[in-house]
Amino acid sequence: MVAPMTPYERAIATLNNEPVDEYAAYPLVCGLQRRLLPGTVTYKQWATDSNLCAQSYIEGFNKWKFPFTVTLEDLSVTAHDLGANVRMDKENTPFVDGHIIHDMEDYDKIQAPDVTQGRTGHLIRMNHKVVEGLKDKSFVIAFLEGPLLTLSQSAGAERLFMDMFTDPAPVHRALEQTTKMCCDAVDKIAEAGVQGMCWDYLWGNYTVLGDKEYAEFEGDKYAKATNEATRRNGLGLGIHNCADMPHLDTQINKFGVDVYSLAYYPLAEASPNMTKVIEDGYADKCTIFGNIDPQMFMRNTYEQVYETTMNLCQEAKTALCKRGLNTHFCVSSGCEVPPDLECHIDNVTAVMDAVHKFGAGQ
Amino acid sequence: MSKEEIFEELANAVINCKADLSKAAAEKVLAEGINPVDAINEGLVKGMNVIGDKYAAHQIYLPQVLVAAHAMYAGLDLLLPAIPKEDLADAKKAATAVVEGDVHDIGKNIVKTMLTAGGYIVNDLGKDVAPSKIAETVKGEGIDILCLSTLMTPTMDNMKNTIDLLKEQGTRGNCTVTIGGPPTSPSFAEEIGADHRDNNAQDCVNWLKGQ
Ligand code: B12
Repeated sequence: MVAPMTPYERAIATLNNEPVDEYAAYPLVCGLQRRLLPGTVTYKQWATDSNLCAQSYIEGFNKWKFPFTVTLEDLSVTAHDLGANVRMDKENTPFVDGHIIHDMEDYDKIQAPDVTQGRTGHLIRMNHKVVEGLKDKSFVIAFLEGPLLTLSQSAGAERLFMDMFTDPAPVHRALEQTTKMCCDAVDKIAEAGVQGMCWDYLWGNYTVLGDKEYAEFEGDKYAKATNEATRRNGLGLGIHNCADMPHLDTQINKFGVDVYSLAYYPLAEASPNMTKVIEDGYADKCTIFGNIDPQMFMRNTYEQVYETTMNLCQEAKTALCKRGLNTHFCVSSGCEVPPDLECHIDNVTAVMDAVHKFGAGQ
Repeated sequence: MSKEEIFEELANAVINCKADLSKAAAEKVLAEGINPVDAINEGLVKGMNVIGDKYAAHQIYLPQVLVAAHAMYAGLDLLLPAIPKEDLADAKKAATAVVEGDVHDIGKNIVKTMLTAGGYIVNDLGKDVAPSKIAETVKGEGIDILCLSTLMTPTMDNMKNTIDLLKEQGTRGNCTVTIGGPPTSPSFAEEIGADHRDNNAQDCVNWLKGQ
């Protein structure tokens, strides 16, 4: 039995593979938390007002006492600043609906912008405010699109993949710039006092790229630079990859991450579940976040989410035990909890309640 | 050059992702007066199937599939218009769409490519498509097969909304509806009144062929 811990102590113990009073839990709730703010805050307001956005993360902590807080907005932030058109509906996650690459020459027009301006600037300010509110209460990890995702969001994924194959040189020049942008951003985000940086490297996915392609277009050079920038700033290194077939060897072992957040797709044959990920040794050196299906928060009841969380805790406990690990595991949602108005906030509570009851660690 | 050799050129152009060679071989088909339907089936489609199988076996990845598909379309652009109208009378019409609210279109595009390779005449409505637009197309063009895709939970309901509209306008019975994308499941397909749900494009085309 481990004496009761504060959420922050639990986060630190988890990262260090030390025994915990109960497993850390952090469903990736982001835009959903706007609904915890007083009055009616639309998604658009949440995504464009750094005060409101930060306050929602603080309210999320106040309600659920999360050991970790991952400050994700959405995946269009960096592309928006590179000039992509982003559609911002009142109540929908903003998304890119106008790309900036129309012919091969356009790749050379991509220049790393001043990250203190635009949406990235907004994200940086938001992180400052979250840290002000949650310092020493929750382990704050900032979230940003990695270099290849930034480019695919700007260019359009299919166009980019074809160009990677047929004319890679301009693509590489553009990746130099998106990498610079990401590195500049992490320098500024670090000044906010966050403790970790989580990169979205979602194209490290065997349904999309093989080892060779991923190494050439992100792993060997560009992610190496963003990972190094993260370390240089004294931050913990995190990766989020919600792919069905993530490149675990590269992204966990080769990159040497501290935190890896992954999803599980029961219908996709090769998608690894938590037991497999832990038993295959991926939790030996880093903390694995996962992997309740995010759609459960929308479609299922409190009882169903509670039961799923209970099963996940038990599954993880057995697997961790087999590997001789204490923790290195955080109950999470695999990807963002849907921010929709119809999503059941109570289901986040169901996760936390189930972890209190069944998540007692070793 | 024999017919078979030209077919092989077409298949190899797709397998080797060479749009210019695919076009050149298609031109030979036309110049030699070879039946374009045979050239499509014995050449381009054969090549695309090799690519589809290699992709399913993780021997090649998405960039290559996309470029191979581009090569296939380069040949098709020349061969399709050369097919005599009466030969097309039997070909089934399919429509593909990612439902409204969702911009994930990579999977749908693979479905479109495999349907084309399977001999269907495909009208691709794109991504983020409103149920009303899909229903109008089904009615207006007499679509036989509708393939709906979504990768997001919140937008799954738009699959149901689309099928409801087809029922309302009385076209549901004439059209086979298949759905796909990771959040969907066979039970969801049943719940919303779709005919079929598949894990991937290739299997779906095989299922359709068996109907
Ligand atoms: C790539 C990707 C993106 C790219 C998409 C680029 C593009 N042009 O499509 C970008 C970065 C733009 C993106 C954006 C977002 N994404 Co995204 N994305 C993915 C990811 C990692 C891979 C999808 C993919 O392309 N796979 C490769 C293709 C080949 O596979 P596929 O689409 O599944 O298709 C195959 C089969 O499913 C099937 N199939 C597909 N359709 C059909 C149809 C029929 C009829 C049939 C028979 C078969 C079939 O056949 C295909 C192969 O044969 C998935 C996670 C995952 N692993 O699925 C998340 C995922 C889909 N994204 C997700 C989210 C949340 C988002 C964002 C909201 C993120 C954000 N907060 O900003 C935005 C969405 C904006 C919007 N409104 O649409 C979530 C959706 C969660 C949910 N269930 O609701 C996922 C599932 C991640 C997760 N675990 O949470 N994303």
